[in-house]
Amino acid sequence: MKMLKVLGLASVLFMITACGENTDAVESGTYTGKVKKVEAEKTEIYVETKDDKTLELYFTDETELTKEGKTVEFSALEKGQNVEVTLEKVGKRLDPITVKILK
Amino acid sequence: MNEMPEFLRTEVWHPLTVHFPIALLLVATLFKFLTLFSKSKTWENAGSLLLYIGTIGAWLAIFTGDLADGIVARELCDPTVLKAHENFAWILAWLFSLSTLIDIGRILKLIPLKTKIINILTFSIMVIGSGYLMYAGHLGAKLVYQQGAGVYHPTENCDEFN
Repeated sequence: MKMLKVLGLASVLFMITACGENTDAVESGTYTGKVKKVEAEKTEIYVETKDDKTLELYFTDETELTKEGKTVEFSALEKGQNVEVTLEKVGKRLDPITVKILK
Repeated sequence: MNEMPEFLRTEVWHPLTVHFPIALLLVATLFKFLTLFSKSKTWENAGSLLLYIGTIGAWLAIFTGDLADGIVARELCDPTVLKAHENFAWILAWLFSLSTLIDIGRILKLIPLKTKIINILTFSIMVIGSGYLMYAGHLGAKLVYQQGAGVYHPTENCDEFN
C-alpha cells in the first residue's frame, strides 16, 4: 500500500513537471501581440499573439525596433507592451524584421 | 585568410560542463537502486555523494547552457528544439534537487517515514529525473549533430588550418 502511495506521488510529480513553457513556429508575416517576457542580455523577447501562440524572437543586426515612428533602443521594450512584429521564417526560426511598440 | 575562432568561447563552456552531471546523476540513480536491495551502506553513501555533486553540476550546466543559448539560437534552423532542451533541463534539475533535499532530510532524520520508504521515494524521483535527463541529452545531441549548434564550420579549403 505504501509502495502504491509512493508510486502515485511520483506519477503526480511527473505530470506536474511535464508542463513547461513552449514556443511556436508560425509562417512569415505580420503579427500583433503582447510582450510576455524580455531577456535584455540576449536581446530576445517572447510575444504572445492573440491566438495564444508564443513567439520567441531573437533580435538580429537587421531588426528595426520603432515606437511612434522613431527608432528606439532595445531597452525601450517592456513586459506587457503591445507590439506588431514582422517576421521572416527561416526553417523554424523566426527572424524579426521589424518590431513596432504600439500605444 | 579566415581565422579559427578561439576554442574556449562562451558557447563551448556548456559542453565542457554538461557531461559530468549526466554521468554522475545516472550512476547515482543506479546506486540508489542497488541501495534498495543491499544492507551495505556503500551504495547508499556513494549514491548520495554522486547525487549531490551531480545536482550542483546540473545547475552549473543550466547556467552555461543559458550563456550559450543567446549565442547559438540565432543560427539554428529549429530553435524549438533548443527550447524543449532547456525546459527538460530545468525540470530534471528541480527533480534531482528535490531528491537531494529528501536524501538530506533522511540523513538528518527530518522526515517522519521509514528509511526504506524514503529511499524508494528518492529513487522514484531520480528515475523520473533520469528519464528527463536522457531526453534532454538526446535533444542536446540533436542540436549539435543536426543543426551544428555552437560548432565552428571550417572553410571549404581548410585555409585556416595552414
